[in-house]
Amino acid sequence: MAFMSEENQREIKTIFEQLDHDVHLEFFTERESPIIIPGGNCPTCKDTRLLLQEVVALSDKLHLDVHEVTTTGEAARQQGIDRIPALIMSAEGVQGKIRYFGLPSGYEFSVLIGSLVDVSRADADLADETNEVLSKLDKGVHIQVFVTPT
Amino acid sequence: MAIANLHVVADVVEVSEFPDLANRYGVRGVPQTVINESVQFVGNVPEAVFRQHLERAVSAG
Repeated sequence: MAFMSEENQREIKTIFEQLDHDVHLEFFTERESPIIIPGGNCPTCKDTRLLLQEVVALSDKLHLDVHEVTTTGEAARQQGIDRIPALIMSAEGVQGKIRYFGLPSGYEFSVLIGSLVDVSRADADLADETNEVLSKLDKGVHIQVFVTPT
Repeated sequence: MAIANLHVVADVVEVSEFPDLANRYGVRGVPQTVINESVQFVGNVPEAVFRQHLERAVSAG
């Protein structure tokens, strides 16, 4: 079953006309298994993967790379991923790291679409004062924003 | 901010999927933002307010 209606797909394709640089989506998920394990480790991994596959199909500037891992897997360790489903978005000109943990559904789906455009354009659209604060950073800053789907 | 600066890691976390994090940070309302484990605030705040929280977190070490 498709997550997006044809109308949604058309709207998002229009939004994606604003994409500039290619965006790489590194997606970390559990290994798919024909066996259904009740209450398995990652109940939203499969849906997130299908949703992302639908999204990247709407623009040739979006590239999805799927990593099937255990949470202690090598690829996950290298990227500092300690939980799944996890998505890292990157593009030319993007300096830091932008990640999404969980299934971006409901309102958060539009946040994901907007984030892909911002990342592609490497456009943070920040005030001069904020850029000044950022320019003085000499150590890591970890910002976590907790959201719900509705 | 993470677009603009290599020191910044910005995460969005679906809190209903990761109740351990909700418990760790005492998430009661959304969006709730946590910066460097030291500063927390709830709500979609203006950029200037976010910047003040960021400065507070950075100066807290």
